[in-house]
Amino acid sequence: MKILSRFTKRKQRSVVSSRRPLDDKGLLHDIGASILDIAGTAGGMGILFGRILSRAAAFKLDRDEMMRNLYRMGVQSIPIVTVTALFTGGIMVVQAAPLVQRLGAHGLLGWGAGFGTLREIAPLLTALMINGRVGANNTAELGTMVVTEQIDALRILAIDPISFLVAPRMLAIVVTMFVSTIFADVLALLGAAWMGDLLLGVAPTTFYNGLTSGLLGIGDITSGLVKSVLFGIVVGLSSCHFGLQVRGGAPGVGRGVNATVVASAAGIFVLDYLASFTL
Amino acid sequence: MPPSPQSLPVETTGASWLDRRAHAVGKLALHAGRDALGLYRVFVRTLYYCVRGRREPGAVSYYMYEIGNRSLFFLTVVMGFIGMIMVYQGGTQTKRVLPELSMLGPTYLELLVRDLAASIGALMLATRVGAGIAAEIGSMVVTEQVDALRMCAADPIDYLVKPRFIASLIMTTCLVIYGAAIAYLTGMLTAELMFDVSPYTFSNLTLVDAGDLATGLAKCIAYGAAIPIVSAHAGLSTHGGSAGVGEATTRAVVNSSLAVIALNLLISATSFLVLGA
Repeated sequence: MKILSRFTKRKQRSVVSSRRPLDDKGLLHDIGASILDIAGTAGGMGILFGRILSRAAAFKLDRDEMMRNLYRMGVQSIPIVTVTALFTGGIMVVQAAPLVQRLGAHGLLGWGAGFGTLREIAPLLTALMINGRVGANNTAELGTMVVTEQIDALRILAIDPISFLVAPRMLAIVVTMFVSTIFADVLALLGAAWMGDLLLGVAPTTFYNGLTSGLLGIGDITSGLVKSVLFGIVVGLSSCHFGLQVRGGAPGVGRGVNATVVASAAGIFVLDYLASFTL
Repeated sequence: MPPSPQSLPVETTGASWLDRRAHAVGKLALHAGRDALGLYRVFVRTLYYCVRGRREPGAVSYYMYEIGNRSLFFLTVVMGFIGMIMVYQGGTQTKRVLPELSMLGPTYLELLVRDLAASIGALMLATRVGAGIAAEIGSMVVTEQVDALRMCAADPIDYLVKPRFIASLIMTTCLVIYGAAIAYLTGMLTAELMFDVSPYTFSNLTLVDAGDLATGLAKCIAYGAAIPIVSAHAGLSTHGGSAGVGEATTRAVVNSSLAVIALNLLISATSFLVLGA
């Protein structure tokens, strides 16, 4: 009944003494603790990444597990990616609509929507949705295995949990992200063309001509795809790391999932910025 | 409680391919219908308790702290980076077509007020707040604390969902405004450093009109209402042990993100059709 008694306890404490409670060690302590925490997480992820790479380089991956995860993460995410991509393409056009009408530049709609979609929005939103669906699910699964001591059971059977469980999942997430982004690119452009026809009366042919008029290059597409691989690595690493770090039953699993989605979302935006600069 | 579609006595072995397909589609439709009904029930009961519920001093402000203040750092990072990314990408693209960047600031600010601040901020809050609400309520369901509440004649919706709903409505708006300010600052900095657009030229609010502001605020309120309802519904329908909590959290994040995207398209298209360009 911890949550039920939280309010009453807090009130009692403030009535009994207005001094700082014993567990409050001040701002400086909090800042230091959170910096140490972030450093610990980054270090843990780095070590995990090294271990996964060493298994992947030696091809010590469980093939069946990899295929199973590719199906569950990739194929079963298709509905969400489809809906997100179609809506995103529509939103891009709706946002560009006032500008297009003001300037009367209907021919540039394809270029504007295509540029924003291919370079930024399709990889970004696909990554966020895959992070929510696949990353969170992966953490929950690994966390449940940790809580129910299945990972320890694997170790007792002399099966390496990294090459059996973690490395296939990591690789499956990266592949899922890459393929989903290609899929989302196409569907978002389709949604944008459709919305442009519906809302602005720009014929799909005009849209397509704007897309291929030479202002967009292959660089715009590859930039988005390189980003998607980076996002896949971030989501995979953080979901595996936080999943393996789960402690304390069902509430622990919930906390782990929460930590994963937050850490990967922040990581996705930071990497997106760095990638936009260098690509 | 209606029987779940999985437990319906349907003989699928030996049925033809078409029968199995029809069965799968029907199951999907039943699931979707039940989810929609559950969502609607949670929403209506939350609204009812907002008016007629018990007064519980401190609960709303506690959740405002949980939802609002504790998301500040996360939102600062995300909105700061999104400001830099958008201005950088917009600037490089504009330079390909016209060499003049004085409209970069006004266009960016209009987009920020109308859509970007609310939608990106709400997507982030759907991730953080949605996962948090579903994990909290889900683990309370699994450890039977919600049943204990019902035995104490306290409705879990009144006790657990209502304060989170009110807190989220208020704090989403505050956080989006704060996020817009952060994105504006980083965007201005990027324009100054990368494209030599002076902050004075950049901070040109001529394109932002009342319609943009109204659209942005309508989005804040819609997202702020949708995220806690969708996540609380996912949390309350948790079953099974720790695996169930993980599954509920996943569902909360995915469904509230989808809700944000769908509401975005709906509100954007409506405001474009009603208010015009």
